[in-house]
Amino acid sequence: MYRKQVRRRRAVLALLIVGSFVLLTVTYGQGSNGLQRGVSTIFSPVQSVADRALKPARDLVNWFDQTFDARGRNNRLHDELEVARRQAVGADAALAENAQLHKLLQLDRGGAIPSGYDPVTGRVIARSPTVWFSDVTIDVGSGDGVGVEDPVVNGDGLVGTVTAVTGGSAQVTLIADHSSAVSAKVVPLGVQGVIRPNVGDPGDLVLDFIDSAKHVHKGQSVVTAGWRGQGIESRFPPNIPIGEVVKASIEEQEAQQQVHVRPFADLRDLDLVQVLTGGSRG
Amino acid sequence: MILTPKILARLVAIVLLGVILQLSFFSQVAVFHTSPDLLPALVICLGLLGGTMTGAVTGFAVGFLLDCLLIEPLGGGSLVLLAVGYLAGLFRERFEIHSPLVPPLLCMGLTVLAELGFGALELMLGSDATVSSLVVRDVLLQGVYAFVLGWPLYLGLRRLLRPALVEERVVRRPKGPTVLGA
Repeated sequence: MYRKQVRRRRAVLALLIVGSFVLLTVTYGQGSNGLQRGVSTIFSPVQSVADRALKPARDLVNWFDQTFDARGRNNRLHDELEVARRQAVGADAALAENAQLHKLLQLDRGGAIPSGYDPVTGRVIARSPTVWFSDVTIDVGSGDGVGVEDPVVNGDGLVGTVTAVTGGSAQVTLIADHSSAVSAKVVPLGVQGVIRPNVGDPGDLVLDFIDSAKHVHKGQSVVTAGWRGQGIESRFPPNIPIGEVVKASIEEQEAQQQVHVRPFADLRDLDLVQVLTGGSRG
Repeated sequence: MILTPKILARLVAIVLLGVILQLSFFSQVAVFHTSPDLLPALVICLGLLGGTMTGAVTGFAVGFLLDCLLIEPLGGGSLVLLAVGYLAGLFRERFEIHSPLVPPLLCMGLTVLAELGFGALELMLGSDATVSSLVVRDVLLQGVYAFVLGWPLYLGLRRLLRPALVEERVVRRPKGPTVLGA
């Protein structure tokens, strides 16, 4: 009797392990599948309700954290920094591009976004609990016009890109995710590179593969490159603010061709975001 | 664990509530810049109360639901959480839980293990990004949060699942001494 029970337990365990590997093999790299779309459709309303209901409690906990970290009293400085950043980036970019940047920085206040894109505003309703994945789920999906690879921004700058959609929700892979790579340029130098994450530290991105002949300096802004040519183009429109160079040693630039960038958007504390649907940059 | 339809319904409700609460609350709050991860602790407590099978099956279910709702590749979360649930259940079947510190300590240790498991899985699936040393801090902090959440979670779940628990001792008031000739 006991042996039979042990055999049964082992069989169930083996079945679960094999099942996990099969699921992983079948679904890896596929985006969303029918099952996930179904589950997501069922749970999206529940998540939305829970998200709104728990917002006061979340805010309370986050307030304590912010107070402890002395961040609560920095709102005024943050506003000043935002104005200074807008001015710095605007002065470096071309006039037409500057207009777009200016609008991008005012997204939260109902401003415009690059021409050819139709912004869809969504709220973050879930985020990955582990430190290894940096993605969030938002409450807008294909039913709202959101598609895979649409860029996602908030009032501060680039947040990520849509990697999977269901009818009423979408997965946004943040620029701090291990799988993220965004072509970017430093303004006003025009030095181009690829923004890569430093996994586990959403406040530190790496601008990789830069031209070591041109030296990038601390404090310079990094925006999306938005390149296009020979029938292909970057999924991101040009000149969306990404972050500010915070560490740019000559040695690191010459030896590893990289500098460190702090993203403008607070990737740990996202609430409202805008998905730039459409994608025709005309 | 004696599984009746009522207990099964409670387990399903616990799993659903746990996942919703994690995604809507715990994942979106930051304490010292790190979000607590309740789900490994939940699976560990269920494993400690119900044994290897309960731990493994609920771990698989929690991971599966999590992957579905986060639109992640299915199976990864299931694999990691079923492993920690199974290990917690194995502890319950091999050892006596003789101290109130055992559940929170196990929650802490196995949550750290689960986070390392997620990292290993990520490496297995191919990740060429650099890893910040802050990951170590985050993983350790998640262990600490699991320690803090572990004991109330264990007590709450034990209360909810009490009718189904085997070896749950019935507390009786000790009889007073019989006084002869009284």
